[in-house]
Formats: sequence, structure tokens, C-alpha cells
Amino acid sequence: MTLRLALLCLVLALASLAIGPVDLVAIHARDPELARTLFLELRLPRTGLALAIGAGLGGAGAATQALLRNPLASPDVLGPSTGAALGAVLAGYFLGAGVIGMALGGVGGALAALALLLALAGSGAGSPQLILAGVAVATLLGVAINLALSLAPSPFALYDLMTWLMGSLADRTLPQLLLAAPLIGLGLVLLIRSAPALDALALGEEVAQSLGIATASLNRRTIMAVALATGAGVAVAGSIGFIGLVVPHLVRPLTGHRPGAAILPAALAGAALLTAADIAVRLLPVDLKLGVLTALIGAPFFLWLILRGR
Amino acid sequence: MSLAAALLLAAMPMRVVSLNLCTDEYLLVTARPGQIVSISQLGADRQETPLAVRARGLATNNGRLGDVLAQAPDLVLTMGAAPQDAALARRLGVKFVALPYPESPGMVAAQVAQVAALLGNVAAGEAFAADLATLVSTAPAHPKKALMVGGGGLAPAMNGLTAGWLRLAGYTQQQGGPVAMEALLASPPPVLLVSRYRPRQYSQPQAWTQHPALARLPSRRVAVDGRAFLCGGAAMPAEIRRLRAAR
Repeated sequence: MTLRLALLCLVLALASLAIGPVDLVAIHARDPELARTLFLELRLPRTGLALAIGAGLGGAGAATQALLRNPLASPDVLGPSTGAALGAVLAGYFLGAGVIGMALGGVGGALAALALLLALAGSGAGSPQLILAGVAVATLLGVAINLALSLAPSPFALYDLMTWLMGSLADRTLPQLLLAAPLIGLGLVLLIRSAPALDALALGEEVAQSLGIATASLNRRTIMAVALATGAGVAVAGSIGFIGLVVPHLVRPLTGHRPGAAILPAALAGAALLTAADIAVRLLPVDLKLGVLTALIGAPFFLWLILRGR
Repeated sequence: MSLAAALLLAAMPMRVVSLNLCTDEYLLVTARPGQIVSISQLGADRQETPLAVRARGLATNNGRLGDVLAQAPDLVLTMGAAPQDAALARRLGVKFVALPYPESPGMVAAQVAQVAALLGNVAAGEAFAADLATLVSTAPAHPKKALMVGGGGLAPAMNGLTAGWLRLAGYTQQQGGPVAMEALLASPPPVLLVSRYRPRQYSQPQAWTQHPALARLPSRRVAVDGRAFLCGGAAMPAEIRRLRAAR
């Protein structure tokens, strides 16, 4: 199944690379150097970032749900995505940080949001506490983004609010891809290495400990990895909702309900879904933010989850 | 002093307030010393208008009518529709003038003349109009095709106020509306007019103008003063002369 998902990613990536306002093949015949620039500087970053960010969100979503033993947990619902956006905004608009500084701000913001969440709810908290604390953290950080953009030196900063809350991959740069992808990749590798331990954690904290798993260190490692997998991506594209929430549920039936084992397929499915959404955004006649489209798909699914669990 | 001059002086508004950057600029080129009570914060901000150097020592306001009433203005200027403010001013008996957004350099000159007349300084309006007439009569005969593109890839309309000023600088705006970066790179304009406005202050539209792919454009690059183009108003004649010299 992993292979099939990887193939799907490949097909979607090729489609994403082929779509654009100009005909790259015709340009290549006329001016190969220009075609190379368009491909490397515009199309490749967009496609690569869709794959990397989607994978990061999908994998981080599966890992958060496994760690917190809660099917409603995900980076966007519980705050790390919003925290990452706030971190990137503070670094970029106030400290004059470049691509690197904003990515680090994103990772730091995601980490701070997760720390705040766990301090508020506790790692073994039940569904209601966790979701309540998460919603509070996400709302607080969202308001903080609004405030930060209002106070930013550039008078146009507030107009960027939509992008930070809804995400976009338009006109991103190669340096952004080259920086975000390795950070997200590192986060995903750390998460996949924790998969067996997270599977054991599904049986309960005591059982996991009796199997020789140091749960406190597993907590720390997973949170760090989730921050890496989401933070750098959000710093580049803004906070994109629902991928981290929906995708783990899509792949879970295929992984025998082992939450840890769902991380890799969720990463692949997240990459496929975000790439597909980014293709759709470009093909639709109206100018929609990427996060609007993922929310349009994700919100009904979220409702269905709640209704089914009632 | 003759009786007529004394009467004129008495009728002249001596406590003038502007609530809007563009009317700030009009005031700064037409008012006599002592006539201005306050202009908006933007009008005194050197990052917002090249005319801010003339605003030294002037009091500023936050652009809201309710907050300048305490300054007891006898004339309040602003730009754009402000129906509630107009109604409030009427009730309080304050003279309130809301100018429409200008659509051409000629309309800017007419508005400068209108403000100058309101201030009792007709000569300042005539001087601005004469300056514009000179710019029109000396406009380059063969304008170059160019594209002025702002943050986020948005280009000013081909027949709007900005394009009207650019024509006087010797450029025709060849495209308006949103410009896709790929399309821009695929068919580069001969001249790319890049707006310099609050450089080094991060925003996403600003980041668009610094995309590394744009550095590969073969177009000749000409920097325009984005502050003057914000209003496309009283600060433009000087900017047009600068652009002509750089052409």
C-alpha cells in the first residue's frame, strides 16, 4: 500500500509540475535556459513544497493522534500549526529574519505551542480536556498572529493574515524548498523511528512502560519531531488545515489500527492530498487559498468523525 | 491693508485639518504658514510621502473626524466617500470637503487648484497646474513599453492614474491587473518599473518583488518612488522629472 501511495504522489507531482500559466515545452524549444529557470525557480519549489508540507502534516497528524491517543488530535486543531505561523511572523516581520530565520521561528513556534498544550492538558489527558486546551491554545495563538501583523512595521502586513491562517504555495522560492524539505524530512524520519514505540503506547502508558519504553523520552522526541515536521512547512506556506486531521483516518483502516504504523502511509497520503489540492487551486476559476480548499474537504469529514463517535 | 484684503483674510480658513494622506499632500503644497492645524500621521511620515519633509513641526491626527473636532477646525479635508463624517460635520457646522479619488494627472491638478482656492491661495493652484502643463508639453514623444508591477504581482491599470503619470515620464504601462510570475518571465517587458516602498520591511507582497526568479529577468529595471505613487498626487511632478532623468 505504501508503494501505491508513493506512486500516486509521483503521478500527482508530475501533474503539478506540468501545470502553469505558460507552456514550458514550447518555451524550451525557443529558450532552454528560460525553461530551466521557470522549472527550477517556480514549478519545482511549488510541487516540492506541496509534497513535503503535505507529508509533514500527514505524518505529524498520525503521530500526534498516536502520542495523545486521541483521534481528534492534529497539528492544526491543537495549535502547533498556528504556533508555527506566529513564530514565523515574529521572525520575519519584526526581526527581519530571512528564509532560514523564519523556518527556525516556525519550528520554535510549533514547539512552544505543543509545550503550552501539554502544560495545560497533561500528556495523558482525556479527549475533552485535550481538545479544549488545544482549541484555547490555537485560538490564542491565532489572535496573537492577528495582533502581531497589526503591529508589524509594514502597513501591508495585516493583509497577509489570510495567507498565514489559510496557507498558499504560490510563487515560493527554491531556497524555501531546500530549507523546509530537509527539516520536514528529519522530523518524519524521527517520527517513523518512534512508530513501534507509539504502537505500544496505544495499549496504555503502563503497558508501554512494561515493554521497556521510556514514555517520557518518547513524549519529548515525538513533540520535537512533530514541531520539525510542521513548523518549517508552516513558516513557508502558512497554516494549512485538516490534512493532519483527516489523512491519518483515511489510512488507518489500511494499517490495522496501529497508530504508529500509520505514520509513513499518512505522510504519503498527506503529500498526495496537498499536491492534489494545490493542483485544484490552480485549475479552479476562482482564486482560493490552499487552506480554504483543504478545509472544504476536511471540515465535513471532521463533522462526520464527531457524529460517528456520538 | 485695504478693506478687500482684510475681508479676504477674514474669510480664509485658518484652522485647516486633513484626515487623509492624499489631501495632506495637497495641503503641504498649497497652504500658507500657520493655516494647517493638523495633517494625518501618514502625511508626516517620511516612509509614506516624499512631501513629509515639508510637514516638520506640524501636529498630526489619526485620520478620524471625531478626534480632530477638539482642534476646532474651520475646514476639514479628506479623500474618498465619507458619508457619516460629512453628516457629522454638517450637524456641527464644520466645513467638510471629501474629494473623490483622482483618475488622471489633470484631475489631480484640478483638485490641487480646488484646495488652493479653499485656502485662499489661488496662486499655489495655478503654479501646480502650470507645472503639470509643462510636464505634458515636454512629455517624451516616443514612450517606451514598460510594466510597473507592485507587491504580489499586481500591476496598475493601463488607463488609470498611475499609467497617466507614467506616460508623462515616457513609459506606457503594457499590462494591468495580476501578473503571473511565470508569464512575466516568459515574455519580459523591455522596462520593468519596480516600486520602492518600505524596503526591508517584510510583507508577502514585498517578498514577491524579491523572488530570486525575477533577478533573471533581462528587462531594464527602473526604480520608482512607491511613496509618491501611493496617492499619485501632489508629489508626482518631482517624481516624473526624476524618472525622465533616469530614462
